[in-house]
Amino acid sequence: MEVIATPKGGNVDKMAEKVFMESINILGGLKKLVEYRNLTWLPSLAEAAYVVVLKNEVFRSYGEIAKELGITEQTARNIATADEERVKRYLEGQLDEKPNEHIAGGIAKIAYRKLKEEGRLDEEEVVMAQKEIEVLDIDWAVHVLARIKGLDFPASKEQIGERLQGMIVKGRAIEEILDEIAYPVKSPAELLHKIKEKLS
Amino acid sequence: MAERYYELSELEAKAPKLFGIPTGTKLDEMFYKIEQEGDEYVKKPLGGIPHLAVMNVTGVPDSGKSVLAEQFAVTQANAGYKVLFVTVESPANFLYTALKQKSVALGADFSKVEKNIVVIDASESDELRENPKALLDTMAYAIREKKVTNVIIDSITGLYEHKEVMARQIVRQFFNFLKKWKQTAILVSQKRSAQASESAEAAGGLAVAHIVDGTIVMDKKLIETRWDVSLYGLPLGSVLRTIRIDGCRLTAHDSRSWVFEITEMGTVEILAPLSDFIKKKAR
Repeated sequence: MEVIATPKGGNVDKMAEKVFMESINILGGLKKLVEYRNLTWLPSLAEAAYVVVLKNEVFRSYGEIAKELGITEQTARNIATADEERVKRYLEGQLDEKPNEHIAGGIAKIAYRKLKEEGRLDEEEVVMAQKEIEVLDIDWAVHVLARIKGLDFPASKEQIGERLQGMIVKGRAIEEILDEIAYPVKSPAELLHKIKEKLS
Repeated sequence: MAERYYELSELEAKAPKLFGIPTGTKLDEMFYKIEQEGDEYVKKPLGGIPHLAVMNVTGVPDSGKSVLAEQFAVTQANAGYKVLFVTVESPANFLYTALKQKSVALGADFSKVEKNIVVIDASESDELRENPKALLDTMAYAIREKKVTNVIIDSITGLYEHKEVMARQIVRQFFNFLKKWKQTAILVSQKRSAQASESAEAAGGLAVAHIVDGTIVMDKKLIETRWDVSLYGLPLGSVLRTIRIDGCRLTAHDSRSWVFEITEMGTVEILAPLSDFIKKKAR
């Protein structure tokens, strides 16, 4: 008789973080992203990492994922059903045209499958060197998403401020950044974009 | 966009087949369906609780709810089906002993039973007991990984015992989850002292009874007056146990109160309808 005494599949944030990090690894690491000025991909990758984990590890429906992340059901579906093989071939330069697939979704799915196959998804430790990411100050998107999880959108400045209180993003206090953006913020994706605008 | 309405005929392929999932008790004959044979309509026992039903078993303390749930688990596991037993009250090691004993009493092969039952022990994990989402995720893991078809939660009221205002919300989440995962399930629910022992009501009011597909009420009566002795023909101080299908929206059922016993080996044995039992004792 098998006894399960501890929660399973509960730590979505940790798993999404791992998928996010592994996705960056697949793209050649942070350095390459910085070099090619591809940092704009990060919010999409963070979003895709959450979708893939919510779909495959905690079996949420597209409707539930859309509600939880503040994206449309169609985006959630596009991410979860992205053809990862085509995306992979595109990244390797084997396709002439950009495929009609959700690129970040495909990358997150490759990362998820890799972590799953290697048994690293359930491990306690975060796979990629946390220090490196903190030094480069680009893990903020994942942390913002983790902190605002469950928050109802559109959200006011007070609601968002309460969740993000004390965060430092690229050396700036989040309170300062939040003062500069317009409210209400319609979705988590919009929040990431607005913060990013203020950072650049 | 997802379809929001259907024509009735479109649902034919999606409608679940009506057949019974045996509980190992006479309850199996108390659910029935009506079939046409030639010009006549005949009543045919379903052979168990309806497939894919989420049934509520309620009753006062020591009325035999857990005994029935365990008997269902052993019967199904012995027949080769995977059972997920979520224990909220009794720690898993105590449940093990109870299931082993029942297997002996029912003549089941315990090695098979042991292999086919997966237990989630929420009794000793605050996170699983207090956070429905964590428990549902864990149940989803067990159902998917172990290919479970039957679920028992003993007890659902244990998941909201100090927050009864949440009862409806919590029961609804578990009910929807069990439907989504196509499970046949038994939810055990406890009564509060002020609730009538023979009603479908349980902690949280009628929350469980209203949401689930059907309710089975188990009751016990202490023979304590001369009137009881002459009516039931039982000695003073003894206990009369009854079981009744209070309702089931999925199929027809016997609606009488039946007398049952918990045998020395700890199994439920349903004897006769209460009216017949009284008549026989009066003779």
